[in-house]
Amino acid sequence: MNEEYLWDKSGDPDPEIQELEEILGALRYQPKRLDLPDDIQQTRRRRNVPLLAIAATLIMAILAGLFWLSHRQNQRQTLTEVPPVPVAPVTTIPEVKTSIQVAKAVNPTRQQEIVATNRLRRTVSKTAAPSKEAVLAKEQLMTALRLASEKLNLAQRKTQSPSLNQIRNQHKIG
Amino acid sequence: MFELEATAEMLLMSQAKASTDTQHQETRIEVVLVKAVLSGDRDSFGRLYDLFAPMVHGILLARVPRSEVDDLVQDIFLHAFKKLHTLRDFGAFGPWIAMIARNRAMDFHRRAKETVEVTEDLRSTDSSGSRAKEILELIRGLPEAYRETLVLRLVEGMTGPEIAERTGLTPASVRVNLHRGMKQLREKLG
Repeated sequence: MNEEYLWDKSGDPDPEIQELEEILGALRYQPKRLDLPDDIQQTRRRRNVPLLAIAATLIMAILAGLFWLSHRQNQRQTLTEVPPVPVAPVTTIPEVKTSIQVAKAVNPTRQQEIVATNRLRRTVSKTAAPSKEAVLAKEQLMTALRLASEKLNLAQRKTQSPSLNQIRNQHKIG
Repeated sequence: MFELEATAEMLLMSQAKASTDTQHQETRIEVVLVKAVLSGDRDSFGRLYDLFAPMVHGILLARVPRSEVDDLVQDIFLHAFKKLHTLRDFGAFGPWIAMIARNRAMDFHRRAKETVEVTEDLRSTDSSGSRAKEILELIRGLPEAYRETLVLRLVEGMTGPEIAERTGLTPASVRVNLHRGMKQLREKLG
């Protein structure tokens, strides 16, 4: 095979390639006129697309920021405007009662503020204080646990110490 | 083995540099024509069509039935005219339209799968039993890289440097494809 003829038709013609060219030449492109319709138009390039995308992103970011700020403000307001919680029996927490009384006596203008903070604390302490039933249940559980641990200790001691029978038998033999 | 092939390709590339002057001239013509079309000169697109239609025809002939090729060539150039503004490198019009032609051929086969009966009808009208069509079928059975290059060389009568310049492939790879494709075709022809 003549490499150069196959590459750029230079050099001695390769008879086999020439034959193929002749046969396949029948399928060659026949020049035809391109009919461009009159109404066909080139679609315009959208040069401003990246700018629009940037602008849209910025607007979205600003809106998100504003939304977050307003949401945060609302949260603060709800925290400050906590509805008054029914006060627990004062006898259970005597310290709180006295502090309120002291605050009332010392500065009547700060009274509201102090009461608000104390209410908040009271609600916390109220929810944390266990009921009588819970205390009883806890005590029962603790005694059960103590009993169980004592039994376990006893069993452990029994297994670890040598049996009395064995010793006795040894003495008998000896 | 791979090193030897790489060295051979390098050698081929250096040999092909001789034909770069004519290629640059053609590339410049291409750039001028694309610019003219973009500024509203429709006739310049006709000249681009005359320059590149044989290549598009060859690319399609290697992939789709012959009866479909002419219509597809027209379609591809109409599409190219509409989308010419998307071409960033004006000197790469050839590789760009070659890629459009390959994609269009793939689309044709995707659609043909959905309508099998129609495709078979087309094949029956296409295969008239002539020797040229037989050989073309043999070429179509070769790997894709070889079949396109061989059709452009043997059917469209383009030289290796022309194929490289129009399709955007390197001269070395065109040379390798021609050589290996021809070898495989000879084996098939017996």
